[in-house]
Amino acid sequence: MKVSRLVLFALLSVSAGCQPEKPHEKVEVKRPEPVFVSTYKPLPSKSMLFKNATLLVGTGERIDKAFLFIKDGKVVEVGKSVAVSPDVEIVDVKGKWITPGIIDVHSHLGVYPSPSHKMAEDGNEMTAPNTAEVWAEHAVWTQDPGFNLARAGGVTSMLVLPGSANLFGGRGVALKNVPSVTMQGMKFPNAPHALKMACGENPKRVYGSDGRSPMTRMGNVAGYRKAWIEAVEYKKSWDDYYKKAEQGEEVEPPGRDLQLETLKGVLEGKIRIHNHCYRAEEMAVMIDIAKEFGYKISTFHHAIEAYKVADLLAENNICAAMWADWWGFKHEAFDTVTENVAMVDKASPNACAIVHSDSAIGIQHLNQEAAKAMAAGNRMGLQIKPKDAIRWLTLNSARSMGVDSLVGSLESGKMADFVIWNQNPFSVYAKAEKVFIDGALVFDRDDKSRQAASDFELGIEDPEGERL
Amino acid sequence: MKCSALKLCSGIGLSVFVAFAPQLQATESESFLIKNATLHTATAKGRLDHADLRVANGKIQQIGVNLEPQEGDKVFDATGKHVTPGLMNARTQLGLVEISAVESTNDTSTEMEGMGASFNIAPAINFHSTLIPQNRTNGLTRALVMPYNGNNLFAGEGALILLRSEKNGLIKQRAVQSAVYGSAAAGMSGGSRAAAYARLEKALSEATYVRSNLSQFKPGIKYEFSQSLDDLKALIPVLTGQVPLVIEAGRADDILNLIALKKKFGFKLVVSGAGEAWQVAKELAEGNVPVLMDPIANIPSFDALTVRLDGAAKLYEAGVKLIFTGGGTHNAYLVRQSAGNAVANGLPHTAAIEAMTINAAEVFGVKNYGQLEPGMDADVVIWDGDPLEVTSNTYAVFIQGERQSMVSRATRLRDRYWQLKGSQTGYSR
Repeated sequence: MKVSRLVLFALLSVSAGCQPEKPHEKVEVKRPEPVFVSTYKPLPSKSMLFKNATLLVGTGERIDKAFLFIKDGKVVEVGKSVAVSPDVEIVDVKGKWITPGIIDVHSHLGVYPSPSHKMAEDGNEMTAPNTAEVWAEHAVWTQDPGFNLARAGGVTSMLVLPGSANLFGGRGVALKNVPSVTMQGMKFPNAPHALKMACGENPKRVYGSDGRSPMTRMGNVAGYRKAWIEAVEYKKSWDDYYKKAEQGEEVEPPGRDLQLETLKGVLEGKIRIHNHCYRAEEMAVMIDIAKEFGYKISTFHHAIEAYKVADLLAENNICAAMWADWWGFKHEAFDTVTENVAMVDKASPNACAIVHSDSAIGIQHLNQEAAKAMAAGNRMGLQIKPKDAIRWLTLNSARSMGVDSLVGSLESGKMADFVIWNQNPFSVYAKAEKVFIDGALVFDRDDKSRQAASDFELGIEDPEGERL
Repeated sequence: MKCSALKLCSGIGLSVFVAFAPQLQATESESFLIKNATLHTATAKGRLDHADLRVANGKIQQIGVNLEPQEGDKVFDATGKHVTPGLMNARTQLGLVEISAVESTNDTSTEMEGMGASFNIAPAINFHSTLIPQNRTNGLTRALVMPYNGNNLFAGEGALILLRSEKNGLIKQRAVQSAVYGSAAAGMSGGSRAAAYARLEKALSEATYVRSNLSQFKPGIKYEFSQSLDDLKALIPVLTGQVPLVIEAGRADDILNLIALKKKFGFKLVVSGAGEAWQVAKELAEGNVPVLMDPIANIPSFDALTVRLDGAAKLYEAGVKLIFTGGGTHNAYLVRQSAGNAVANGLPHTAAIEAMTINAAEVFGVKNYGQLEPGMDADVVIWDGDPLEVTSNTYAVFIQGERQSMVSRATRLRDRYWQLKGSQTGYSR
């Protein structure tokens, strides 16, 4: 394929030279092939009809005594009554709740795995303030026991991000939370890459304390802008090259630069910005930088002060990914309000509030984290219901990651990623009983054979036993 | 903030708290009667439904059904509500840290030579910390404040506090001695936990010698011990059993070694962290060793590969006394979420309440606190639902009978940005 395109290009170039009467015929120019491509294949699944569920669709809708029909790994239909052919297995889930699979937009599973130790820390390439060239997926340890613990908490997809030491930390990767030997076997097919950026204290602490730039928030912003100026130039050089090559001109392609390729991907709208940013005024500055260089910010992460600029975020179609209640570890995390998520959610119909974990423990209990944020909102009279709050863990996360046409809600045609809970999931006592990914049962609390243990866990405690 | 004066509290309410003021108004709270509540007593009586609780003079006076208010009693109808003792988190740095990464606000540890076991943390506690109201408004009324280790295996002496923004929040200093074992201790001992164990043992042996020969030691003379003389003296209350020694350890074998150390020296051991404690639950129960743990912490480490969410339940079944922590220091009140997860994984609800109240009180010698029982200090929290449930909020918090303000820095920020929506006070956008 690659060769034939090259040959075609060469032939067309030559023939174009021989036939000047057709100089404007467009020449096909080889574009870079995708690399580290997903090999994810849905596990075997059946056609199933679940009935009598309390179902939170993920869109803000709740259906009682609901039917959910899945087939070929997809949601076929959700509703009050669904007719199916006799060969479909029917499961009565009376008393249970069904939600879309939980999606965590901020995880370091695999790159900061457990057990934690220095040589397992692969999330922060703290060697330069701009390391846009590194990819989290190249470091994901698929045997991190945290993946399995997260699955038991109903997490079906996640965005694994590099850390926040750098202005540009590198590319993040969307994973489907299935047991896999290879990263490619988990990689969410066709999900956009993320580019992790970081505001504030972390970059200036890491580099400034070494006497390097950035030493200040001024230096941070200069660093972003300098990089984007180069990226704009780099993109232009490739755009010019393709334009000329497609017109049949014999031109050499520009030299490849891994760092600038990532930034170019952002400028082209293919890679989404996930920006660690706590303070309101820094978010506003980052929005202006995005406008200056013509790219989009998908999401501010750890957005402790999002409540101060909730309307600004909504106007700019930016999500805020937040903790329910973490605060105080840094000065930029001091202005906590436990109503942050609820206040962002209620700021606008276009608001995109997300509860994220950034934690191997928190990811197991995101339902509880959202429940706390909901309860805080309700204490101030915002009247948030589970059908609303579930969006903070599902459809809004999917929107942030650019996969909302595929997952995040239980709507026809979407991947059948969902959780059957033993009760209302907005409770400390709720447990994910069954977890489905693409229609396949990947976790069953009542069936040991559906509770994957990673290689690391085998024989770790008792040569013949299980860790858990 | 002390809320004994009606004007003070309602003044705060009027300025910033109007929209979300709890239905209950602040009171003098000299005496009050809570009617028709679900009481989580943390006593052998366990949970009492539709029960009443009367408080006067800062103490719980009476518990029963259909109690009549006495003259001057404020009556709270707590139908559908729950009442617990004020909760306690037994491993915090409350008052020692405001912003973890800002050194000038962080007094959690020292690396000063000769200051290990004798590092008394009490003078560093800032009772005006914003963390105090943040946690108090969420139902935490007491805490054990523990130092972190600097470069000594002994972190020093912890203190018991009331979550009040005033000096009398200090209940007891030198309430507990804290040390570390396992891989962290190995790192401070040349690289092996065997060396760390030898150092712990040596320090306790030397302290035993110092205790027996106290009059021999004179000021101004340097003695050849593994710890400073002050540090060894600080271990004497541990040897006499007056002060429990909390030692951080995770691995099952490490815990067994600590039980052996306890047997040798006869101190009151509390194992903290204790990820693999469930594997040696029988030995812990037989050795009468309580476990101080965060039951939600289930991420395996090389110090605790078998840590699990039902560890607390397994320890309880074996008869081990449980004391809970959780939520870190800034959100020390989230110990109740950790406790709720222990219940979701098999621990009885009553045991979870006890692990946040009376158990810590008993082990660390907190007097008159930890149960809903006549004679106890009236640290009382009214919750709008099950106190372990993440969707429940506090409805009213009392410390020693005094109604506490529900205002914190966080609620001030919330109200500024929700009510004003950027339209006033120069904070427009």
